[in-house]
Amino acid sequence: MTWYVARRLAISFLVLLGISAVVFFLLHLVSDSPGRVVLGQRASPEAVAAFNQEHGFDRPVVAQYVGYLDQLAHGDLGRSYKLNEDVGTLLWQNAGRSAMLSAAGLVLALLIAVPLGILQAVRRNRFVDRAATAASYVLYATPSFLLGLILIAVFSQALPIFPAEASQSHSPWVVFTDPRAMALPVITLAVTSVAIFSQYQRSSALDQLGQDYIRVARAKGLPERLILTRHLLRNACLPLITLVGTLVPTLLAGNLIVESLFNYPGLGLLFLNSLQREDYPVLLAYTLIGGVLTVAGNFVADLVVAVADRRIELSK
Amino acid sequence: MNETNTARGIASHYRRVDVESTAVSTADGSEDTRGPANGDRVLTIRDLSVEIRRGERVVRPVSGVNLALNRGETLGIVGETGSGKSMTGFAIMGMLPAGGRVTGGSIDLGGKELVGLPAAQYRAIRGNDVAMVFQDSMTALNPTRRIGEQVAEPVRLHQGASKRAARGRAEEMLALVGLPRPAERLDDYPHQLSGGMRQRVMIAMALVCEPRVVIADEPTTALDVTIQAEILELLDDLKSRLGMSMILITHDMGVIARHADRVGVMYGGRVAETGPTPVLFSRTRHRYTHALLSSIPSLTHDRSEELFSIPGAPPDLTVAHVGCPFAPRCDAATDRCREEQPALSTEEDGHAHACWHPASGPTARVRARFAASTAILPEREAAPRLRVVDLRREYPAGSAGLFGRRRTVKAVSGVSFEVAAGETFGLVGESGCGKSSLGRMLVALDRPTSGEVIFDGEPVTRMSARALGARRTQLQMMFQDSNASLDPRMRIGTILREPLAIQGVGTRAQRTARARELLQDVGLPAGVMERYPHELSGGQRQRVGLARALALDPKVLVADEPVSALDVSIRSQVLNLMRRIQLERGLSSVVISHDLAVVRYLADRVGVMYLGKLVETGTTEEVYGAAAHPYTAGLLAAVPEADPRTRRPRLSARVRGELPSPIDPPSGCRFRTRCALATALCAETEPPLEPLAGTHRVACHHPLQQKRSAELTTR
Repeated sequence: MTWYVARRLAISFLVLLGISAVVFFLLHLVSDSPGRVVLGQRASPEAVAAFNQEHGFDRPVVAQYVGYLDQLAHGDLGRSYKLNEDVGTLLWQNAGRSAMLSAAGLVLALLIAVPLGILQAVRRNRFVDRAATAASYVLYATPSFLLGLILIAVFSQALPIFPAEASQSHSPWVVFTDPRAMALPVITLAVTSVAIFSQYQRSSALDQLGQDYIRVARAKGLPERLILTRHLLRNACLPLITLVGTLVPTLLAGNLIVESLFNYPGLGLLFLNSLQREDYPVLLAYTLIGGVLTVAGNFVADLVVAVADRRIELSK
Repeated sequence: MNETNTARGIASHYRRVDVESTAVSTADGSEDTRGPANGDRVLTIRDLSVEIRRGERVVRPVSGVNLALNRGETLGIVGETGSGKSMTGFAIMGMLPAGGRVTGGSIDLGGKELVGLPAAQYRAIRGNDVAMVFQDSMTALNPTRRIGEQVAEPVRLHQGASKRAARGRAEEMLALVGLPRPAERLDDYPHQLSGGMRQRVMIAMALVCEPRVVIADEPTTALDVTIQAEILELLDDLKSRLGMSMILITHDMGVIARHADRVGVMYGGRVAETGPTPVLFSRTRHRYTHALLSSIPSLTHDRSEELFSIPGAPPDLTVAHVGCPFAPRCDAATDRCREEQPALSTEEDGHAHACWHPASGPTARVRARFAASTAILPEREAAPRLRVVDLRREYPAGSAGLFGRRRTVKAVSGVSFEVAAGETFGLVGESGCGKSSLGRMLVALDRPTSGEVIFDGEPVTRMSARALGARRTQLQMMFQDSNASLDPRMRIGTILREPLAIQGVGTRAQRTARARELLQDVGLPAGVMERYPHELSGGQRQRVGLARALALDPKVLVADEPVSALDVSIRSQVLNLMRRIQLERGLSSVVISHDLAVVRYLADRVGVMYLGKLVETGTTEEVYGAAAHPYTAGLLAAVPEADPRTRRPRLSARVRGELPSPIDPPSGCRFRTRCALATALCAETEPPLEPLAGTHRVACHHPLQQKRSAELTTR
C-alpha cells in the first residue's frame, strides 16, 4: 500500500510536470511578450523591451520554463502584473470559497443521487424510475447557465424565496453562514451532477440487485430496507466513487459558470476576469490547479475504492 | 397449534425438543399419506403451482407439485434446467422472483401455512425455520462485508442476540462447518477464502439459527468433485447433528443416489416420480426418469455402446400443455399421453409416478453399439500427429516490487504427451490444474513459456504469426460456453461460413453449401442457418460450436469442457455426436473436462493433471480400471455414481484438503500435501512419469498398483 502510494505520487508528479510544460508553451505561443500586454498597446517598444528584460521574458523560452519551475518549487506561482499581486495569494483568497461551493454542490448531488438511483433500481421500469430517468436526461441536456437563469427567474423573481446574487462575504464558510443566499448556486451546481450520478447509481444498483448475495440476504429474513442499506448500498456505490473522482476537475468548470452567473467571488470568477485582462500568470496557475485536481481526484478515488472494497489489492 | 406457533413469537429460537405433531390433513390421497408417521412430517407441499408474469409472457415453472419432507430426512429434488426444482425451493422460501406468485396449493411447515403468509411473518421464518444454501458461494457472499458479520447476521435478526453473542455463535458455527481457525477467520472477507471454504461459510450462515428445514439449491455444482464430496458429507453430518431436514435440489443423479433418502424427479414443472431413493433407482417407473438414468455416462458403462439420448428439448413453459409434459420426447407415448395429464399414482413403499405407461424392470436399456472405427486404423502410423514436449506456461501474478523477482502462476509445468492420428486423448483434473491453459496452447491460441507443441512434425509453438495462419485450419477448438463463443450478432450461417471465408476457401455459394453440410453432420436442420445464436437452445448452440470447429476439416480438435454447460438429456446427445464424428473423420482430438465420466466415454487414452503436471497417463481402461496414482484414485472415489447400491468409498480413499497455490507449488511431488501415502521422499524428490505396465505411466513414489496387490495378499 505504501509502495503503491509512493509510486502513484511519483507518477502524478510527472503528469503535472507535463501539464505545466504544455500549458506554459501554449501560453507562450499566444503571447510571447508579456511587457506589451502589461504596459498596453501605446507603450513604447523600448519600455516593453525594458520590462521584458527586467522580468526575464527576453530569455529563451526553455530557460523561462526552467525559471518558472524553479519558482514553483519555491511555492511561488508567479505574479499578476495586472492586479499587482502574487498569484498564490490571489488563488488562496478565492480557493476556499470555490472549494466550499463545489463541495456543497457535490455533497448535495450525492445525497440526492445515491438514494434516487437505488430507488430507481428497486422500482425498475415502474413510474418512479421512468419519471426520474426522463428528468435526468432533460436536466443533463440543460446547460447550467440556462438552468441557473431559470432558477433565478422562478425562485428569485416569480417567487422571491432566494436572492439572485450569491453572498459577497469573503468567508469560505458562507454556505453555512448564509445558506439562503447560497441556495441557488449550490442547487444549480448540484442538479447536473444529480442527473449523471443517479443514472450511474441506478445501473450499478441494478447489477448488484441481480447478485446472489442479495437473495441470500433475503433468505436470511432481512427486511427489504436493511437489505438495501446493509448489503446493497456499499457495493452499489463502488463504481460511483471512481466516477466522482474523475469528475472533480469538472466541478471547477461548473464553478466558472455558476460563479459568474451568481457573481460569487471565487476561482471561477477570478479566471474569467483574468481571461478578459489577459492576465497570463493567473491563467497558468488556474490550469495547473485543474491538472492537480484531475490527478488528485483519480488518485483519491482509487484509494477510497481500495479501502471500501477489500478485493482490490494496491500492489501494482 | 397455530396459536402456539404465534405465541412463540417472531424472534424466539426454535428448539429441537419441541414436539412437532402436525395436523396435516392427508386425505387427499397423494403419496404423502404413506411413509413415516405423520408426527414426523416437517413440510408438506400440496398441489403447488407457481406463475411468473413478465409483461405479456406468463411462465408456469411449477404446476401441481406434491412433496413431503419428514424429520431428519433428505429429500432430493432432481431435474434439468427449467424443470421447476429451484422455483419450488424459492416458493417454499417465499422468495419468488419479480412477477412471480403462488397461484394455488399449500406449503405447510409444521402446521403453519406459508402460502399467503404476510411478508413480516414470512421474514421471521426465513433464515430461522427454513434456510437456504445457494449454489455459487463466490456471488452469494457479500464481497465487502466480513464473513463473521455475515454469519452472525441471522442470529442478531431472529434471536435478538447482542453483537458479541452473535459473533460467538458465528465462531461456533464456523468451527462446526470445519473452517480452520474460525476465530481468526471471522474478520476475513469472502475473497480471502477458497471456493470450498466459502461454501462452508455459506452453510454456516444458513444453519446458524438451526432451522428445521434447509434447502440446498445445487450446493456443490460450482465445486470440484473432491470438494463436492466433502461438502455433501458435511451437510449430511450437520443435518443429523442439528436434527434438521434437508431438501437437496440438484441436476446430478449421482449426488441424489448417494445423499438423498427420498427423491422427487421433476420435469416440466411437475413431479414425474417420487419415492425412497433405493426403490426409485431399482424400480424406476416413469419413462422420463428411466431415460434420464440411461443417458448419464457412468464410470462403468461399456464404452463401445452409444449413450441413450432423449430426443428433442424440454417443454416450453410459457404455453399451457395438455397431457404428459414428457410425451413429445417419450418413445412409449400414445395418444392418451398427449391428451390426458397423468396424476401421481402411488404404489407400495411410497413410490409414486405420473405416467400412463410406466416402465417395468430395471433401467438397463439396449444401447446402439458404435461401428468399429474403420477410417482411422490404417492411418495410425509411427509418427504421432500431435506431440507435446515439456510444455510450460507461467503467467505473471502481480509483482513483488520493482526489484523483486516477478512471481508467476505455474499453470503448466512440464507436460509431455502424444496423440496419434484418429486418437482421442482425454485430460482430466480439477479446476486450476492447468488443463485449459494447456488446451489453448495446443491450438496455438497461447504461446508456451517453454517447450513445444509439434504438429505433424512441425513445431507450431515457434511458427511466425503468418505461417501459423494457414496451420490454424488444422487445429481447431470447441469451447465450453457456446453462448459466449458464438457472436450474438451473427447468423449461424455467417458463423459457419466465416472460417472458410477467412481461409479463402471456395466461392460464397460453395461456402454456403459447406455450411449446410456441416449442420447436417451435427444433426441440425438447414433452417438454422438464418437464425441467431440466442434463438437456439444450449444443445443446439453447442452443436453449432462443433460444426464451426469442423468447418475447415481440421486434423486436431481440442474440446474444452464441451458438455459441462448442458443438461443431462442434451449432454448425451452431444456426447454421442462427438463420438460419432471422431470415429467417422479420423480426427485426433483432445477432450478436456473435469468430469471423469465424460472423459472416459470420449477418450481412448487419458492423462490426469494435477497442479500443472501430468500425474498419470494410459489407456482409458488402464487408468479407470486400475488407477495407480493416489490422486486419480481419489478423484474416481469422489464421483458419485447414479446408483445408490454402490458403496460410499472409505474416507481414506478421498483426496483431502484443497489445491495448493500454483504460485508456490509444493516441493517434490506436488500432490503430497493432500496425499494419504506421502512420505519424506515425496517432499524431497519429484517422482518422474514412469511406465508401470503397458502404456500405463504414473508419476508417484508409492503407486497404488503395486501397493494394492501387496495389501490384498496381507489381508
